Parts: sequence; C-alpha cells; structure tokens
Amino acid sequence: MKELKKSLKLWWEKYSIKLRRLLLWLVLAALAMFALLPLFWMFITAFKKEGLGLQTEIIPKGSLSELYTLSNFTAILADKDFPFFRFLLNSTIVAGSAAIVSSAICFMSAYAFARKNFPGKEFIYGLLMASMMVPGMIFMVPQFALITQFGWMNSWQGLVIPHTANVFGIFLLRQAIERIPKSLFEAAEVDGASDWQIMFLVIVPLSSPVLLTLFLLTFLGQWSNFLWQLIVNTPDSPWITLPVGISLFKGQYSIAWEKMMAASVISVLPVLLLFIFLQRYIISGLTQGGVKE
Amino acid sequence: MKSSLRDRLKKFTPFLWLSPFLLVFAVFLAYPMVYSFLISLRKVTWQTDLNAVFSDMRWVGFANYRELLTRADFWWSLIATFLYMLLTIPTGIFLSLVLATLLTENLPGSRFFRSAIFLPNILDMLVIGLVWKLIYSPDGLLDKVLMKAGIEYFHTKGFLGNPLTALAAVALAMVLKGCGFGMVLFMTAMKNISPNIFEAADLDGMTWWQKFRYIRVPLVKPVILFLTITGILGCLNAFTEFFIMTEGNPVMLFAGETVGATRVSGYLLFTRFTEMNYGSAAALSYFLLIFALIVSYINWRFLRDKSV
Repeated sequence: MKELKKSLKLWWEKYSIKLRRLLLWLVLAALAMFALLPLFWMFITAFKKEGLGLQTEIIPKGSLSELYTLSNFTAILADKDFPFFRFLLNSTIVAGSAAIVSSAICFMSAYAFARKNFPGKEFIYGLLMASMMVPGMIFMVPQFALITQFGWMNSWQGLVIPHTANVFGIFLLRQAIERIPKSLFEAAEVDGASDWQIMFLVIVPLSSPVLLTLFLLTFLGQWSNFLWQLIVNTPDSPWITLPVGISLFKGQYSIAWEKMMAASVISVLPVLLLFIFLQRYIISGLTQGGVKE
Repeated sequence: MKSSLRDRLKKFTPFLWLSPFLLVFAVFLAYPMVYSFLISLRKVTWQTDLNAVFSDMRWVGFANYRELLTRADFWWSLIATFLYMLLTIPTGIFLSLVLATLLTENLPGSRFFRSAIFLPNILDMLVIGLVWKLIYSPDGLLDKVLMKAGIEYFHTKGFLGNPLTALAAVALAMVLKGCGFGMVLFMTAMKNISPNIFEAADLDGMTWWQKFRYIRVPLVKPVILFLTITGILGCLNAFTEFFIMTEGNPVMLFAGETVGATRVSGYLLFTRFTEMNYGSAAALSYFLLIFALIVSYINWRFLRDKSV
C-alpha cells in the first residue's frame, strides 16, 4: 500500500504538468469546435440530398451518394426566380465599391487631420469620434426617407453612398499617418512635392497595410449589411444582394434547408478566402479600436 | 491687403481634403439625427400621399412618444433588450477571457485555434443565424443530441419556438459568433503584462485560478470596459439575428398583452418601419439614443475618474 502511494506520487510529480496541459488543450479544442459548428454544419447540409436537410447523419450507411450530392449548387445557380449568381455579383460590386470609395475619402480626410492645421480641427475630429457612440439603428428611418426623396431606391448609390462616411477609418488612418517620421514629409516638401505626390509616394507605400485593413473591414461590413440592403431594395430590384436574396428565398422555401445552406456556402466562401489569406490585416484593424498600447 | 485675404483663405484649404467625407457625413449621418427627430413628431395617416410619404406626414407633436410609453410591446422590447445584454455581454466577456488565457499557454495548435475561433466573427450574420435556426429546430441537430440523452423537453417546439428559451438560444449563438473578437483584444492586452509578475506569482504558489482572478482580470479591465460598451451598442442595434432566427416570436403574455418574446427594441423599430409607422419608429430610435448617451456618459466618467 505504501509502495503504491509512493509510486503514484512519483507518477503525479512526473506527469501532472503534462496532464494539466492536456486538459487545457481539450477545453480549448472543445470551445473551438463549438465556434466552428455552424460553419461545419452549413457545409455538411449544403451537400445533402433533397429533403434530407434535417438528417443528422454525417457518415452514410451505404455509399456516399446515398446522402450527398452536388445538385443543390447547380440548382441554385440555375434558379431563374432567385438568380444567386447575380446576387453574388451584386454583393461583390456593392461591398467592393463601398470599400474603395470609403477608403479614398477617409484617406483624404485623415491626411488633412494628420498633416494640416486648420481652424476647429480637433473640435471637428472630436465630434466625428463622438458620433461612433450613436447606435446605427437611429439612422435607419431618416436615411431611408432621404433615399426615397433622392429617388435612390433599388440603386447602387442608395446601397453604397450612405455607408461610406466611416469615422473609424479616419481614426485608423490618422494614427497610421502620424506614425510616419516627420523628416520624410519635410524632405518631400523641400523637394517641392505636392499634396497628391506626398499622399501617393510617401504615405501609401508606408501605410499600405492599414489601407488594406480598412478596405477589408469596409468590404466585410458591407458584405453583410443586411438591414440596409433589405430596405433599399424592393423584391423586384436588380440590386438584390446575397443576404437579401437568401432571406427572400427562405420566405418562399422555408423547408428547403439543403438549398438554403448551399446559398449560404456561396455567400460565405468569398469571406472565408479573404480571411484565410489576409486574416492578419483583418484582426489587426479590428483590435486597434479596443486596445491602447 | 490682397495677400492677407489670400492667407486667410489659405487657412481653409485643408477643408478641401475633408469635403467629400464631410459632405457624406453631413447628409447621411449628421442631418438624419435632426431629421429623425422631425419625423418622430409626425405620423403617416390614411390621407398621406403614398408617393411622397415623408413630405406628407401629419404633425402630431409628441403623440408618438406618448403612444410608445403606454404600449406593453415597447416596455417588453426594452426588457428583452436588457435581458439580451445580460445574456450576451458577461458570458461573452468571460468566454473571451478564458479563451485568451488558454491561448497564451502555448498549447500545440494555438495559432489554428485562434483563427478558427475568430473566424465566425466576420461571417455574415444572416447566414450564421440561418444555420443556427437549422441546428435549433425541432428534429434539428441539438434536439436529436438531447433526445439521445433522454431530454425530450425541446422536441415539440424546438429552442426558438419556446418563449422561455428563445432569447437564450439566440444569445448563445451570438456569444459563440462574437467571442473571438474579445479573445484577440484580451490577447493583445495580455502581451503587455510583464512575465515577471507571473514568475513572482508562481513563487508565491498561486493557483491557475488565483492568477486568472487576481492578475489577469484587473490588468485587462480597459478591454472589459470596451467590450461592455460595444456590447451594449450591439444589443441596441440587434436586428439581423432575430429577423432570421425568430422574427420576434414566439408570442407570450406580458402586462395583459401579447408580445413577441424576442421582439427586442431594434426589431420593434423594424416592425414599426414595415407597418409604415415611421413616426413611431423614429421616436423609438430616440429612446435608444438617450439610452446610448447615458451609457457613454457613464463610460466617460469612469475613464476620467481613473486617469485623475
């Protein structure tokens, strides 16, 4: 008995750290599994055969083709009532152009805030920053009213323009420009560089990671800006985007889970690719607002 | 004389750089704040010209605000929003903090786990909500798993069809979607903690929990505050997850009226909007604004007191 106790104690001393690490790893892996569960389930269901969307089997008893098929994707992309390929194109145009316009106007403003002096500068800057505390829902009704009066319903302008004034973008870029050593600007000015030359020859090369970050964040934000895209588009609009298309599809075929998940996969895939290749830029931008170094 | 006028004008040339941004900001963000208030004092009536709704609304003074204050669905929407905050914010912060702590332990595969947990954060809310609706539905994945374990309570209505569980089910889905954001914030903040502190703690024989509770938590307080504020704003804006998962349902009784159990204020605003009750929707948004201003005032006081 004493021997056993002693050997147990020795064993514990030898392995307790490893055991503890294994335990922590298991907790972490379980949490990651839960976080990825919806994504995993979306992909699995998207390949299920018609009518099997609620099936929870993953491994079929017989051959794979008993449970899985590619026909959801071909059916969705060929659907005339719900042209998902068109929705995909619309989403890309809306999110892409919003990101370009927004980054450009934020860049110009951030340049002025970082490099110029003018009356009321810090006051205006403070006012812009304070506006970030206003919940976005407040703008829905008046922005919609403006859009109808401008005749911008069902149009590119209506979808894109109201969301290009991104205050967070100015914040991000102003910081990036102010981090560039002053001597570089002075050298450029001595050489007689114009504002445009300074912007494109000095700032753009040196702060390109931040510009890319801002572009990506705006793109992702507008890719899933569902509420606004829902109210600016009527169901017969040529500008219906992926999330709106999916919600309309759900309204009509609320039990066609396999097809809904196939459409969801189409909507998620571009974002997934962006994340896999550019996650460094996305994460760094999102964290800059929250942590001060 | 001429040159001094030029100098004075020159002071304002930087505004040329600001002008595109300020123009969009003024038209679509600053003016709407005022415009929204004007809309909230008006009402669409049966006489309103449907081709020019917003220029033909009738003046009703503060009637929209008074009407809201007497409605059970308004009060329930505030309570539901508050419950939604309670369900998402503390759990989200706790989970993020635990994840960040685990990820700083240098366990194998940490980089992959970090990316995997962060990923859902940037995925389309509508799509993620839709998948959760599938997982939560009667006969869905979660129900089947629980049935195997002998729990049949959820089998008839699913998780989203039951007024007692619907809000919590949405909250759980959103916590799992959002926790990666808090996690990377905490990780960045923790990198700034000097390792000497932990060495000293180890020498003192502190347990993992004690280190977590007495070293990490106090040092990441600013992140906790930031997540609380953004969480509150997020709950005031919450809409898409309810639109796709519950449509504000299931119905239940509250103060003698039937209300939607998950009809949070953002969703109620949308409902009023689709009923063309624009005045009421605008009035509701002003209540939300007041709430957000109080929160940011407390936040500002909190930060100021700490820096003094």
